[in-house]
Amino acid sequence: MNFLNFMNQPLAWGALAFSIPLILHILNRSRFRRVEWGAMHLLESVVKVNHKRFRLEQLLLLLVRCAIPALLAFALARPVLTATQTPTGDTPVSLVILLDTSYSMDATKEGISHFDKAIDAACAVVEATPRGSEIAVIQTGGVPTPLFDQPIFDSKAIVRRLRTLRADFGASDMQQSLDTGIATLAGMTHVRRELMVISDFQPADWQGSSAADSIQQQVAAMSIKPELTLLQMGQVVTGNVSVESLDFSNRPLGIGQQLSVRANLRNHGNTASENARVVFKIDGKEEAVAQVALAANAATQTLFPCELTTPGSHVLEVEVVVDDPLKKDNRFSAAVTIWDQIDVLLVDGDQSSQPLKSETDFLAVALTPYTFGRMKLSDLVKTKTVNYKTNLKKEFEAQPKVVVLANVPKLTDAQCNELRDYVQAGGAVFICAGGKIDSKWYNKELFAKRGLLPAEFGMPKGKIDEKGLSSRIVAQHFDHPALQFFNEPSNGDLSTAEIRQWYELIPPESRSMILTSISADEQPPAASSSDAIVMARLDSGDPLLVEKKLGEGIVVQMATACDADWSDLPMRPVYVPLMQQIVTTLATQLTPPRNIQTGQAAVALFSDGTVTDTAQPTSSASVTNAKDSISLSMTTPTGARRTVRAFRQGNRLMARYDGTRRPGVYGMSTPEGQTVHFVASTSRDESDLSMLDEAQLNSLADNMGAHVVDSPTQYLEQDRLRRNGREIWRYLLAALLAFMFLELILQQRFSRVRT
Amino acid sequence: MPHVHDVLTSHDISKFVNLQVLARQEVEGFCSGLHLSPHKGFSVEFKEHRQYVPGDDIRDIDWKLFGKTDRLFIREYEEETNLRGTILLDSSGSMGYRGSRSQLNKHNFAVRTAACLSYLMLQQQDSVGLVNFDTQVRSYVPPRSRPNHLQKIINELDAATPGNETELGDVFHEMVTKIQRRGMLVIISDLFGDVDRLLKALAHFRHANHEIIIFQIWDPDELDFPFRQWTQFSSLEKANNHHLVDPAQIRRAYLEKLQQFQDALSDGCSRHRIHLVPMTTDQPYADALAAYLGLRRKSR
Repeated sequence: MNFLNFMNQPLAWGALAFSIPLILHILNRSRFRRVEWGAMHLLESVVKVNHKRFRLEQLLLLLVRCAIPALLAFALARPVLTATQTPTGDTPVSLVILLDTSYSMDATKEGISHFDKAIDAACAVVEATPRGSEIAVIQTGGVPTPLFDQPIFDSKAIVRRLRTLRADFGASDMQQSLDTGIATLAGMTHVRRELMVISDFQPADWQGSSAADSIQQQVAAMSIKPELTLLQMGQVVTGNVSVESLDFSNRPLGIGQQLSVRANLRNHGNTASENARVVFKIDGKEEAVAQVALAANAATQTLFPCELTTPGSHVLEVEVVVDDPLKKDNRFSAAVTIWDQIDVLLVDGDQSSQPLKSETDFLAVALTPYTFGRMKLSDLVKTKTVNYKTNLKKEFEAQPKVVVLANVPKLTDAQCNELRDYVQAGGAVFICAGGKIDSKWYNKELFAKRGLLPAEFGMPKGKIDEKGLSSRIVAQHFDHPALQFFNEPSNGDLSTAEIRQWYELIPPESRSMILTSISADEQPPAASSSDAIVMARLDSGDPLLVEKKLGEGIVVQMATACDADWSDLPMRPVYVPLMQQIVTTLATQLTPPRNIQTGQAAVALFSDGTVTDTAQPTSSASVTNAKDSISLSMTTPTGARRTVRAFRQGNRLMARYDGTRRPGVYGMSTPEGQTVHFVASTSRDESDLSMLDEAQLNSLADNMGAHVVDSPTQYLEQDRLRRNGREIWRYLLAALLAFMFLELILQQRFSRVRT
Repeated sequence: MPHVHDVLTSHDISKFVNLQVLARQEVEGFCSGLHLSPHKGFSVEFKEHRQYVPGDDIRDIDWKLFGKTDRLFIREYEEETNLRGTILLDSSGSMGYRGSRSQLNKHNFAVRTAACLSYLMLQQQDSVGLVNFDTQVRSYVPPRSRPNHLQKIINELDAATPGNETELGDVFHEMVTKIQRRGMLVIISDLFGDVDRLLKALAHFRHANHEIIIFQIWDPDELDFPFRQWTQFSSLEKANNHHLVDPAQIRRAYLEKLQQFQDALSDGCSRHRIHLVPMTTDQPYADALAAYLGLRRKSR
């Protein structure tokens, strides 16, 4: 193993030139000149006194003179100390840079952001790679995303692209980023492999994460071990203020309904901000302003009540106006949808001409209270009641959002199939029990055969006339969105209602039970994809409400009747909000979420009608294929426009946009010419701008088996040492100059001897 | 028989033929010459008038002045005596050195210098003698002022060859007894040897009222030690005395030693009022001699 190598090996042989002074010395001594000298008394005294010293000095001078050509030769040969490593020289490298593009990198200090420094560092590293190197840059902000689709060899192109990057992506998932980096590195070609992480190294990203252990294991499993380097950019900055989240009810909202938006603000700094201005905006228009006091290292909340008067998609935004080092987290947005009208088809199984005697009368009143109350306020829900024997197919063509089967004894096969198709295409069905239903038929046709029913109807329980056998809804914390409204006691107590009779609902215990109970041919496509969820129970232990997703749609089954025959629920104040919540949630839950996390796909569904009639498109969206897909445009938070393809799914079109790595508001144009807003938000953990200190960073590096560098210069120097070892020609050159100087001094000094 | 022109070129002779060797001190001489004498008397050089006093020789009265002034004045003259010069020629081995830049070795240079001086002094009707010495006096030609005496000196000079060791101090002490009558001693030597003993010997001469002029003959090599490559220096005086040295290494030490030697000589000569004239063999010897004699004349 060589500890010393030469970059110009042949020149090292020049060190043999050390013999030149030696040979000259010997030649001079042997081929001396003879002089018959007169002034010998002068010469002799000098020689006698200094004889030994002359010898010593000659030897010393000879050694110095021999060293000079040897040092010169060694210096020209460019020796490198390689320790125990084999130098790789200027061989190309496979380099992966994990560049932190999370929003916290935008924190500025003295006018320069951490990200600017990171870009400069990344460019310096990329530019210094040897020719032919394979480079991949992975942006860690939001979802780890490579700068180019695959590693490329053009460092200039990478530098050009790096210069256009902005640090406004979501919080980094370092575990995922490192996994991506290692996976990318594994697919690269060169033997020399390097993985470099350029980040601000916030504790939120690293502490408590198993990234270090994971990366070490992955590296250990690799056949070619990469060099890992951590480069921390920026300095700790304090005094950041952020809007951490917006809290508001996620129940469906109609026009003019009041919405309370609670903004959670946090001051991460050590100094209080007494009069921080908090601005509330709707669709970019300032609606309200509040002054809040932000104590040091504390959180506070501000409430903004509002009403939205136009249907469609809206964006709420809260901005705190303070002078802090990171502006990106000073605002938080959320998308809300205001529903114009929710069409609900009530299929009545027990119609009556008398008031409130029909099965759906109470339900209709509960869903449209303003209409029945003849009030000016408009209802969100519009109901239509039909007899169960009517042609449901025709009703389904009107695309009701929710279909309620209230005490329907049974349906025809055609109706069952239509109902199944309706659900699978994204419809919502609310099935209520009652005295007229044929439970056996339900279990056979809807549960076993078509998988529509979430739970099997068991035995009827309780008795209408015997109070002792009645049951009540368990007042618990509800997880289901439809019932979360009742977690707030002021919104009503479900347990006050007395359920006198109900069906025992038997949800399938496992998926296998469903599969064995129906034939493969008849199995609904998504029947097995989701199991029944019990939304609420009675204190008898029996499920009251059971939900099941089927295809794109959803079915909720209630164990008791929706009229006052089996319970006094319709007599209770809580009945109206309960039915409203169930129906509106069913209507809107099928709408993909508009408030998403960064990296999560933005999905929009459009009704079939807009594309079945594509001959007369009403929107600016260009229709490329009338039957299968259309092109929509998506506006990103940076203002860039992207094209999104919407594909047909059943009788609807689904548009999906995956590029939501950047937090902010995305606007998708609908075929109707309207805009659907999506708000991608990210964890605000990075708003605490603290960074790992030196000891923590070193500890992290130790755990990962990585090196820590302070600057790209230090990295390049270390890289150069790794590639070529430590070049020592400078030291040799210095020694050479020193020896030449020493030779001069010695020569001068030795000639000044004692006389 | 060697002739003066074998030693001196006509050009050399023409350089100093009109110069006069003037002794700084008044030396008694029985020959009329150009040298100052404390004795007033017959001379061609008028000095002064003084009033006659009884007892003065009436032959010294200036009768012409008496006729003009009617007063008796004695006419006095500067008496010019002949110089009794002795040339001491060093023929030691060290005088045999000739460097690359010189056409003559030191001894030949000294011989020519001695010949010049002899010729000059005889031209002025001064008496000239020659002592040729190394470790001891090899030949001695007593001072004479006859014109044909030059030939004898030239013969001796021609016969002189350098070769043996020398110790000037001892030789000079020996010579003091031989050169009894005071006069001018012209020492032509490199003066190599023990400085203290040399100065003591010179002091001995001075004690005998001799005026001493030393022409110290140097080869340029001895003054600047120009050697570069390794050199074995062998003594011209002692056999088997040689030293192999790197000249560059000892040059400075040698020059310092040389300077000390010259300083000691210069101080000693100055102390004893001896004129020390260094001469190098690459100079035209006659030019240097003429320059020195011109200087002596001016100083008078």
